[in-house]
Amino acid sequence: MKQLFTKKNIIIYSILAVCFIGSLLFVHNNYSFYDRTIVKVVETNLEDITEISDMHQNEDQIYTQSITAEIKNGEEKGQLIQLTNKYSDSAAIDNEYKAGKELFVKLDANPDSNSELTGSIKDIKRDKYLLIITWLFIFTLLIVGKRQGFYALISLVISAIILAIAIEVYVNTANISLLVICGISIILFTIISLLLVNGFNEKSYAAILATLLGTFLSLLITYLVMLFTSEQGLRYEEMQFLTRPPQLIFMAGLLIGALGAVMDVAITISSSLFGLYEKDNNISIKALKKSGLDIGRDIMGTMTNILFFAYISGSIPMMLLYLRNGSNLSFTFSMNLSLELARALSGGIGIVLTIPIGLYTTIYFINKKRSKP
Amino acid sequence: MNTLVCLAAILFLLMILIGGKKGARSFIALFLNFGVLFLTILFMLDPSGNPIILTLISCVVISCINLFYINKVNVKTKAAFISTIITVTILILFIVVTTKVTMIQGFGEEESDELSIYTVYIGVDFVKIATSVIIMSAIGAITDIAISISSPMREVFHHHPTITKKELFNYGMAIGRDIFGTSANTLFFAFFGGYLGLLIWFNDLSYSVGEIVNSKVFSAEMVTILCAGIGVALTFPITSWVNTFYLLKMKNDDKDSQTSTED
Repeated sequence: MKQLFTKKNIIIYSILAVCFIGSLLFVHNNYSFYDRTIVKVVETNLEDITEISDMHQNEDQIYTQSITAEIKNGEEKGQLIQLTNKYSDSAAIDNEYKAGKELFVKLDANPDSNSELTGSIKDIKRDKYLLIITWLFIFTLLIVGKRQGFYALISLVISAIILAIAIEVYVNTANISLLVICGISIILFTIISLLLVNGFNEKSYAAILATLLGTFLSLLITYLVMLFTSEQGLRYEEMQFLTRPPQLIFMAGLLIGALGAVMDVAITISSSLFGLYEKDNNISIKALKKSGLDIGRDIMGTMTNILFFAYISGSIPMMLLYLRNGSNLSFTFSMNLSLELARALSGGIGIVLTIPIGLYTTIYFINKKRSKP
Repeated sequence: MNTLVCLAAILFLLMILIGGKKGARSFIALFLNFGVLFLTILFMLDPSGNPIILTLISCVVISCINLFYINKVNVKTKAAFISTIITVTILILFIVVTTKVTMIQGFGEEESDELSIYTVYIGVDFVKIATSVIIMSAIGAITDIAISISSPMREVFHHHPTITKKELFNYGMAIGRDIFGTSANTLFFAFFGGYLGLLIWFNDLSYSVGEIVNSKVFSAEMVTILCAGIGVALTFPITSWVNTFYLLKMKNDDKDSQTSTED
């Protein structure tokens, strides 16, 4: 608290404040940057309510609302437009719009210039909400995490940029293997994230080595299992929108998805073993091994659970839809969960394997340090 | 043989080989968690239930499994449990508002092919389901951070019983900051890996930046990542505070009981 208002901090706060206010102003006035027509809802009127039910005893209500909205960009800027919108109680693919909401619409061809403008609703303008949540995220990280929060933010941004570039390269280059690109990106992710968090030292080197070995070994195991079981039980239908071979993309996603967890395990093991070594330079290898395994045992359960929930939860809405439409349990689960479960299991294998690997790479670097005079 | 069964068998063997009894417990916990998720989905099918309250109940059960079953009931896990529940409750309040204004619930038009054979008017409130999904995505990470902070705080308190309230809290925050970066990374990369297919697809369709940012599918992913990140970041001040409060209260209770026996 005592150094809250140093010169450096004041500069940082001012830059942040300018970015925050500037971006908010931009996103509330960026209508002219969009090609699509944007309207702002002025008034809504509920026209009709219909109750519906189907053969699976699903009951819902469908509402029809008429909307008057003001056009915010393009040639018709400032004019009013009439829209109709249908929405339901479950709101799976529809929404009720209230005054003030901004929407993308497609204008109907309007031969007679005297008649009212009409159109159809295409999407919602979500950029301003995303921006506010992003800022909340940034502020939470900086306030709670201080310097480390800032580094976490930087490493996240760099990772996102690497990922974006990797995808760009993959999509625009013919005959290039996604696995090669992902392999290279993973090496970059690992080196950058671990060096940024821990700096240039043996601790980081041991963790980087363990991470890379652990990730690629778990990929190899998963690949071999898929080969030997001829991918029985894996349903790629949920990726059917892709015009590319889903297996490859699934494997690449697997590699990236497990990386964070494997890094976490590797750095936890290497920093705690180096901590023990620094406290007592003569600590025996046997004692190090025992502590390393103890630490590994403590974290492997919770780490696999992180992956499990992060992967599986996203499938809940689709499973509800399947089940309410009369699909049976086993069909619903195999269609929606097979890939997610495979990802979670293979990530878990990576996590568990990294414990002994991290142990040995760390001991290797400790031995190397010891042998130096 | 089924790929999933084979992978599960390998994971089980590795966990026992490396983790011994605790490894076996970790694997069983994974299974129990799957069971909880399964039951939660079945209960969510009932349109008259409230998915958010259901989620809160599942979170309580899941944290019990992750904390008490894997690590046994003790001061550390109790403090971590309380912290998890407080964090989840605060996060739910925040996410309920977020999902309402961003309208990211349900399915995007990109997924409509898959939906064409089904009716989407199933009476289940997808806005609330969206809230549940985000909370459930982050619950694993939240319990992880809570226990990672509680254990060392308890150790320090044990070795230095005279530590002041402020020192103890700051110690918890320092540990939190150290592990925060890597824990957040675990979540972010898991999401990146899961969304890889979609990201490639957006590129294939050559969507403009404006179209990507405002589309329901992309916004939903971003909101999930950001809210989960906020949740993880909030966990460590909350856990530090709960532990400080809990440990010092325990010490005072001990003192009180001692003085009363002396009388």
